[in-house]
Amino acid sequence: MENDSIVFHGNLQQLLEKVETGEMIPKLQASHAPMCKFFTAYYVISGIRHVVPLVHGPTGCPLYMSDFVRTRECCEIRGVPLEPTACTALDESHVIYGGEGKLLEAVKEAYAKYHPDLIVILSCCCSGIIGDDVESIAKEAEKLVGCRVLALRSEGFGGDFRSGYEDAFRLIMDLMEPPQKKMKGTINILGARWGPSPTEFNWDMDEIERLLSEIGIKVNAIIAGGCTVEQIRHAREVELNASWCYDWGQKLGDLMQERFGIPYSRTGQPYGPEATKEWLLGVATPLGMEEQALEVIGREMREVEPDLAYLRQALVGKTAIIEISEFPGPIRALSLARMAAEFGAHPVVINVHPYTIKERMPSIRFLLETGVNPEIVLTKGLFRLGSFRSSKETEDELEAIVKEYDNPIFFGNSGRFPPCPVVNLTLMNPAFQPQYGFKGIKNIAALVRQALENKDLPRSRLFRGMLYGTGTR
Amino acid sequence: MEQGHGKEAAGWSTPSTEQCTDPYLRCAFNGAAQTALGVSGSALLAHSPQGCEYLVNNAFASQECDYMETITLCTKLCVDEIVHGGEDILARTIRDAKDLPISALFVISACGPEIVGDDIVSVCEALQPEVKFRLVPVPCAGFRGSQYDGIDIALDTIIKRLVKNNDEKIPGSVCLIAPHANANPTWIADLEWVRQVLLRMGVRVVATLTHRTPLSEIENMASAETSLLLSHDAGQKAADYLYAAYGTEQVGNGIPLPIGLTNTQRWLTALGERFDTQKIAEGMVAEGEKMVMATCRRKWPMARFLYRTPAAIIADATVGIPLVRFVTEEMEMTPELVALYTSQRSVQELLERELKSLRLSPKTVYGTDVYKTRMSLLEVKPRVVFGSTIERHACEGLPVAYVVEVVRMIRQFRMINREYFGYTGILNLFECVQNEWTMGWRSKERRYEAKW
Repeated sequence: MENDSIVFHGNLQQLLEKVETGEMIPKLQASHAPMCKFFTAYYVISGIRHVVPLVHGPTGCPLYMSDFVRTRECCEIRGVPLEPTACTALDESHVIYGGEGKLLEAVKEAYAKYHPDLIVILSCCCSGIIGDDVESIAKEAEKLVGCRVLALRSEGFGGDFRSGYEDAFRLIMDLMEPPQKKMKGTINILGARWGPSPTEFNWDMDEIERLLSEIGIKVNAIIAGGCTVEQIRHAREVELNASWCYDWGQKLGDLMQERFGIPYSRTGQPYGPEATKEWLLGVATPLGMEEQALEVIGREMREVEPDLAYLRQALVGKTAIIEISEFPGPIRALSLARMAAEFGAHPVVINVHPYTIKERMPSIRFLLETGVNPEIVLTKGLFRLGSFRSSKETEDELEAIVKEYDNPIFFGNSGRFPPCPVVNLTLMNPAFQPQYGFKGIKNIAALVRQALENKDLPRSRLFRGMLYGTGTR
Repeated sequence: MEQGHGKEAAGWSTPSTEQCTDPYLRCAFNGAAQTALGVSGSALLAHSPQGCEYLVNNAFASQECDYMETITLCTKLCVDEIVHGGEDILARTIRDAKDLPISALFVISACGPEIVGDDIVSVCEALQPEVKFRLVPVPCAGFRGSQYDGIDIALDTIIKRLVKNNDEKIPGSVCLIAPHANANPTWIADLEWVRQVLLRMGVRVVATLTHRTPLSEIENMASAETSLLLSHDAGQKAADYLYAAYGTEQVGNGIPLPIGLTNTQRWLTALGERFDTQKIAEGMVAEGEKMVMATCRRKWPMARFLYRTPAAIIADATVGIPLVRFVTEEMEMTPELVALYTSQRSVQELLERELKSLRLSPKTVYGTDVYKTRMSLLEVKPRVVFGSTIERHACEGLPVAYVVEVVRMIRQFRMINREYFGYTGILNLFECVQNEWTMGWRSKERRYEAKW
């Protein structure tokens, strides 16, 4: 492909190699800023019911959690009760003289105020740099209150966003008690991390739970998506751990397998029939419920057969240009690539940031092992100065790239305006959710149908102007 | 800090010490970012780990910046920079940004680099010759205080670094201070209303600190004859400094901001007296009150049915203090709880004066947090609450009939900015009450399915 704006053109394996050797890391310091370790650790911890995440830091650190996660996401959208976002509110004098005394008092106060089942102290940049010993304070405080008190070193500078998730999941393992019995036909779902409610997107989790229930598989806990401390205590009594996305549950799954001998079902996101089938069998087979799973899969496949037939007919011979710019991460893009290939399209994944590849090495390697190795194109706009927002530059680059392929169809979101049909796979439109499982197949078929049958309808001049300014095509 | 009703309520007791808070207010870094992003044609560089970028994003939204015009950058500090210092990476990032078409780059440092001693002022001074735009370092770590402290710190830096001395005053001119220290989620409409009033009075606005303010206006700010503070929460220090350094006289000091008929009348009268435009002020009052009454006659606000209903006001001081009179006089409710986010003496004095003047003795809470709010609501049991979405959820299980969301964050999205100041502001507040009144009738339990 002849195009000045292309920085990388190859396959996933080749990209991974370049990332591993450090070739593809952005040179501009200010390019692409995902969440810090503190945020992601907080996300996981706040997914436990009746927990007080006690931030040992100034009041700015809980801002995002308080405004966005607690009030908007949890209370407003998911209907969960108002939970505390407590903070020690460190000021200049604590920075100079230390904040350990204040923290100890804060734990006692948090217990008296909120009567929680668990208190987790989260350190942030301030408390980390001044050297407050949050672990010792947690141990001391636990003797003084009626619940477990754990500490998590989650300084924003202390690691990438992924380390926050992983350290928080590792900490949660401390709550898991030796099993008293085995819960037959029961699993944990690992890797949820968005406040006290199941998973990032309820609809996808609902679909997973529906299918598991049809097979006769029970779920002990969704860790940490609205689970209770009690469920976590019993987490070792299950027969198997699973995650709806290998990447999300990978660390906790591996650790629980290593430490407690609980097997972890390694499967990708259940997009499309093959991945969904694999996901269900990956859970049911180790539980000895393969037969029941096959029966459910057969029934569900018959139900969606018209949609599958449509998707095969609609996508065969096409080039599926896939870009996930909303909640950007490579795993969803790669799962969609696999699904597109299954329906006979040639997938081309555009602009997965090398930073996100670097952060997900184990999962990317796993996907490569399973044969997912699509064509990848990265453009200059991806590495530009500034935050990782939709930009005119990557839009222009996308439009140019699409023209280079035969029979293109774009899998992304409606914020892009390529000269081809656009399948709007946004996760922000509840009208077409879930996207996982068999219900997901119906929704994706409906979205592809909308894209193809209405491809000649005019796109919004208003939204285009809003996103990329006027004066564009 | 609490006054009025007793602390014990419904089996709960408020701990005497407050080491653990659930704050409404963000940190100083956030306030500084809000202030810097109000300067148009500039960019902001957060010298911080990447998480602090989200505080900048919040400030970006609050100032309604346009991402096609305003760029925000972050040095994304990691362990290495905390151990060995981050000045090199700051210098590199400034150099990366050297071709940006901006007039100023605000460099704001967060907790980490300040504790380890990064000297952002020296880095900016060293790099100034290399870049075409003005480098403005604002050391404002989150631990320096609340977002309002951050606004004061950033205003101080902006005034001291950017304002040029000017002995010539422009007669009948004003600079507006801290319009963004206002919890109306669409505070920009309040600012716009003030500008319209001043325009009608023939008063020239030399500069606004800050909202879409060009650097040139800031530089010229010393030529303003007066200053007008648009917040009860922040900005007083800037007004005091402007008076001390440039003799800029503060107007309207010590009276509540113009929310409701009486407050608006008082405020307009004060401006009219200062700028010798009493007749215009009187005309605006007469015209405005007539418009409000005529509109209400046609639209019939349901707020009239809430006569002597016990109410709570939980807000910043900027909206909360003026609301006390509005809720009491115009809507005839009885404020029984006033909980304000801030606790500085000026706020307490202003509220106490208002309460005394209205002969009210509600429970007052200064520097409230979500926990104190919930406990106060449990204790006072108001029937109507003026607050935010947080109070809607904090009222779960309490006999509160209406939660009128007026301060950030609110459930109902506003595409058009709505002011609370002035006469249209009264109608906007009535509208908030009206919509909540309608929703208040809806039963969560009594439902059945239609047959068709």
